[in-house]
Amino acid sequence: MNTATVLSFATPALHEQLAQLDADRLDQLDFGVIGFDAETQVCRYNRTESEAAGLTPPRVLGQPLFTNVAPCLNNFMVAQRFEDAQDEGTALDDTIDYVLTLRMRPVKVKLRLLAEPGSAVRYVLVQRRL
Amino acid sequence: MSASLYDAGAADLAAEHEALIQFLYLAPVGLVQTRADGEILMINPISAQLLMPLQPDGNLLNLFDALENVAPELRHLCAMFTRPAGMVCDGLHIHLNGGTLRARRAPQVLSLSLLKLDEARFMAVLSDVSEQVRRERQLRQNDAWLNALLTSITDYALVSLDSEGRVCEWNETIGRVTGHSEAVVGTPYSVFYPRDAITHEQVRDRLHEADQNGWILDEGARQRADGSQFWASSMISPLPDHDSTFDDPDGPAYCLVLRDISDKREAIETRRKNMFCDHLTGVANRRAFFEAAELELQRNRRAPRPTALVLLDADHFKRINDRHGHPGGDAVLRQLGLMLVATFRQVDVVARVGGEEFAVLLPSSTGDGALAVAERLRQLVAQQAILFEGGRIELTISAGVAASDGVNLDLDTLMKRADQALYAAKANGRNRIECWTPALAAPVETPPKNPTPATP
Repeated sequence: MNTATVLSFATPALHEQLAQLDADRLDQLDFGVIGFDAETQVCRYNRTESEAAGLTPPRVLGQPLFTNVAPCLNNFMVAQRFEDAQDEGTALDDTIDYVLTLRMRPVKVKLRLLAEPGSAVRYVLVQRRL
Repeated sequence: MSASLYDAGAADLAAEHEALIQFLYLAPVGLVQTRADGEILMINPISAQLLMPLQPDGNLLNLFDALENVAPELRHLCAMFTRPAGMVCDGLHIHLNGGTLRARRAPQVLSLSLLKLDEARFMAVLSDVSEQVRRERQLRQNDAWLNALLTSITDYALVSLDSEGRVCEWNETIGRVTGHSEAVVGTPYSVFYPRDAITHEQVRDRLHEADQNGWILDEGARQRADGSQFWASSMISPLPDHDSTFDDPDGPAYCLVLRDISDKREAIETRRKNMFCDHLTGVANRRAFFEAAELELQRNRRAPRPTALVLLDADHFKRINDRHGHPGGDAVLRQLGLMLVATFRQVDVVARVGGEEFAVLLPSSTGDGALAVAERLRQLVAQQAILFEGGRIELTISAGVAASDGVNLDLDTLMKRADQALYAAKANGRNRIECWTPALAAPVETPPKNPTPATP
């Protein structure tokens, strides 16, 4: 419980710490978390993200992220960054301003893109911009 | 949670809502609803996928702002659209500024359709059409096509036209095919048309169509510098790498290929006749008949309607051949062909399908209708002896009629039934017409006089 309350969208070296959280703790985070595996299939999907998007986890888990879950991220700003990091075997920790179409409303967000060479799971973190 | 009916209903509704949301999330086309000023009210993910890379500030709140750099005319288009509702633009191509470092994933061309719903709202459909546009370009640039033109260059005039359709440069092919000298440079390509054969607007129309479709083909009379005319096929295609916004407006924008086909016009007609006409009688041949009949019955299956078939045969033709020789027989067949064409409608397909056997396909005609016409022909033939070498050849015909109501009848069956009816007419004394009835379907096993023609 402690870890979850401490972690924020901007916490440094977040990838490693997210990997250690179980599903319940992931659900307690106040930012959206989408984790996906080497095949880009969604393997982690927390409550904050689920509620913002209006989709329950069963509709999302196991689905390919960039085509079936968040096609809006399938461009050079997001998907290609992950691809490049994977191809080059480098870490990725970028934060960008973006607009998500949550429940078909344009919502200004910050996206944090996380990948580590040693880990199969990569993350897109979502925080609303005010 | 309580298990009341109300809650169950609410849960169903929530599930349905979630499915609808996901449906919109996954739609592989961009959908956006905006206010009149472009402010985005609703937007689906593909729109964000396509539009976000165009936003320098990472925001996407107004559609017109979002497209400001690539389609600045959009706001104006909407402002000029005075009707209360309707399509403002349909499939407008928006060329993005490609060639950036990140181009691997970036679309090059978007297609935008914008529908005005009412005074307060617009609905936009966005899609990435880069691939289609690329393929079209490739088609235009198709090396094989250009090579084919260039290797038989003696047959063609190759003319480069500027964006207004004026001749850009003179070359020898222009001199050879049209007789024009270098003075033709700067003249619109209508100079190759006979006077009054093309208007100024049509000159532009054709260029526009070439832009739209990649090329435009057209066949017709053209005029040489000395006023003489020739039959030509011409093709205009936009030059592949021309960009009207950057290139010199007087530079080449289109390629006009002008081919003199005067000598081929007759050849084409002759070839058509050889392929589809019976050489002796001039009516359609078997091939043309079966092609036309198959086509008609196919249309029939789509939109059922009656179709009738008449098979007819010159009576005692062998006897005529024996008495008057083959030239006499040929004269009879030619005359019969003429009477058939004169009696049946122009839309009916009259064909010689065997030695002395003819078939007529009557589109949109019932069996009774076909019977009436066939009866008229029978009387006409019986009354008019055929003049041959100063003598007269008496002739009668027999015919069988079969009809389809447009359902469940193929050509083979129709031909077989008409043949059974024809056989009955022969058996019943000739010089008569019989209509097919189910009773004819199972006759005593006798070899039919006229075997059903096999499909070609």
